[in-house]
Amino acid sequence: MKPTLFALLATTALIAAPAFADDRLAVLETYADIAEAGYADSLATAQALQAAVAALVAAPSVEALAAAKTAWLAARVPYQQTEAFRFGNPIVDEWEGRVNAWPLDEGLIDYVDMTSAAVNEENDFALLNVIANPRFTLGGAEIDAVEITPALIGEVLHEAEGIEANVASGYHAVEFLLWGQDLNGTEPGAGARPHTDFMQGAGCTGGNCDRRAAFLVAATDLLVADLEEMAANWAEGGAARAAVLQDPAKGISAILTGMGSLSYGELAGERIKLGLMLHDPEEEHDCFSDNTHNSHFYDGVGIRNVYLGSYTRPDGSTVSGPSLSALVAAADPAVDAQLRAELDASVAALGSIKAAAEGGMAYDQMLGLGNDAGKELIEGAVSALVAQTRSIERAVAALGLETVAVEGSDSLDNPTAVFQ
Amino acid sequence: MRRDLALAFCLCLATPAVADVAETVTDHILPGYARFSDSAAALGAAAQADCRPAALRGPWNAAFDGWMGVSHLRLGPVEEQGRALAIAYWPDPKATGARQLVGVLAAADPALLEPGAMAEASVALRGLFGLERVLYGPDYAEGSYACGLARALAGDLANTAGAVAAGWGTPGGGGYADALLAAGAAGNASFLDAREARQALFTQLITGLDFIADQRLGRPLGSFDRPQPARAETLLSGRPLRNVALSLAALREMAQTLAPEAAATQAALGRAITLAEKLPDPTLAGVADPSGWLKVEILQQAVHAARDTAVAEIGAALGVGLGFNAADGD
Repeated sequence: MKPTLFALLATTALIAAPAFADDRLAVLETYADIAEAGYADSLATAQALQAAVAALVAAPSVEALAAAKTAWLAARVPYQQTEAFRFGNPIVDEWEGRVNAWPLDEGLIDYVDMTSAAVNEENDFALLNVIANPRFTLGGAEIDAVEITPALIGEVLHEAEGIEANVASGYHAVEFLLWGQDLNGTEPGAGARPHTDFMQGAGCTGGNCDRRAAFLVAATDLLVADLEEMAANWAEGGAARAAVLQDPAKGISAILTGMGSLSYGELAGERIKLGLMLHDPEEEHDCFSDNTHNSHFYDGVGIRNVYLGSYTRPDGSTVSGPSLSALVAAADPAVDAQLRAELDASVAALGSIKAAAEGGMAYDQMLGLGNDAGKELIEGAVSALVAQTRSIERAVAALGLETVAVEGSDSLDNPTAVFQ
Repeated sequence: MRRDLALAFCLCLATPAVADVAETVTDHILPGYARFSDSAAALGAAAQADCRPAALRGPWNAAFDGWMGVSHLRLGPVEEQGRALAIAYWPDPKATGARQLVGVLAAADPALLEPGAMAEASVALRGLFGLERVLYGPDYAEGSYACGLARALAGDLANTAGAVAAGWGTPGGGGYADALLAAGAAGNASFLDAREARQALFTQLITGLDFIADQRLGRPLGSFDRPQPARAETLLSGRPLRNVALSLAALREMAQTLAPEAAATQAALGRAITLAEKLPDPTLAGVADPSGWLKVEILQQAVHAARDTAVAEIGAALGVGLGFNAADGD
């Protein structure tokens, strides 16, 4: 009797184990499919931006600048949703600083108002102004920056001297070149760079318009190249896709670690709460364009996407499949139900910020001392993100997993981490 | 290590609950916050009597010592309303506090000195680091705006410290202490079971050690080729190393209460504390030359070692892994 029972149990175990593994693999396939689509959409919208930038520098006008700004704003929508793939996937984490580094000492790139917060005593290059200076010294070496190329931006200037605030590439560098500094503090108004900053010959404002145009083109080209690289990493046969599918337990941990780290330390803490606590628009994520409400909102949507296993693309079509939500529900329905409700609540809270911003109260105004309505909106989003983090931890526990150690966060290679 | 922890978790389920959480709350957290709150209140009272730097540097240092006993705790009342940042906004890589102080001194707005007004101001301006900039900056006279600012900052800090201590309360008093002590009780939404409470405290211990290694030591260390002595914590008041030693001692106490049997962790923390106490470099300025840099790095390695030991030993003892914390993200 006993041997038979043992054999039966063993058989059951053998059957059950692969079935569970298959469930997880199917969830991870969905996750990788969403990443592939998200980065492909980020790439396509960045290519549209590249075309708009080409048109702007070819014939600067109010309309051409507005069109480039519109293209930049559209490019942010899919990209921000991919931020949920950070903090759990080393391939993404090693790459991310090239495309979305923030906050930046924009004086590295171009002229700034010398009475503004662009001055940073911890960064010798905060006011380097590469656009005005074709030759300079960096780390003891003479740099020839006569020609502004993607290589100069990505390999020489970006994170120069290991200082993360030296951001020369990515969305925020392009944003600065399109909008310019927002000098309105917590009052209404975004950056107001004139289109004549790109005018060649007579009519050029801000000086060195040829170099400014060259910088904008090179930075946009580099952004497109970087996004091409990440889209390929998640396509069939790509390294990031292979990495999550290789070990189902680690892959599922990566999803939850990304969700929790983005919700709590990054979004609720560093990007949202800190700005309010400092009443400082320098802490605004998309500070030149006043697009922060959208950046935060689509981060929240992205976190929910990877949990529910569904992503809506810019063209309205959806990419979906077996979800992590179902996996958690099988382990503990109560944890899943609560987490789904909390993800909806955080998207709604971030949506309230978006609605208020679209209604005329820009995100930087919400940070202002004495703006109680803005403070309430922001605190609502922080509370919702903190609440869902606890449930994400419970989902980790329900699945019998551990979170992946977040390599490099808050470490020597990142001396500018603020929210500790 | 993942397998070891999983195995330990299974074993733990079979053993009765230990008094780990209760001991940490009653023997470490509550006394620590009481000391900090008392020292901050004393600083507030001293500023009422005499707000000049000479009179306040002593009480300010005592309050900072008090904070070192609890600065690693980033859960509960200190996380509400941004209190942790309002007490200690550091690091401040964009020098926001210094920039805002210049603006405030130039504006000399009397409204900011009114009771309660400072509570609404930027956290970078406030707290222990805001006071340090005022008390160790240019000297000022009684009756000046800077003097009034020091008084307002000290009062605000005392209020914040008092609010944190009150928020924790005493066992049975209905505060945050009870949420931890009664983990798993009906209606306790913060901690659904004892494991969640253990994980929360364990996460504080480990991230506290990370903060010492990565920030208090890591910032001035910079890199071997490019040390950053100016980035040390509380450089103006000359106590960067003291902070490291005191904070390590507090974390050793926390580890002792959380897992009294964790001998390897105690030994590793003891080694780090000894190294800190013997380092003849109170401001960590020695990082500017190679031999001094290496000495500070040895201390940092000892903290890393203690951290790794604690993760393995105490994580296994408690049957938990690390939870999410405010230092996640970049």
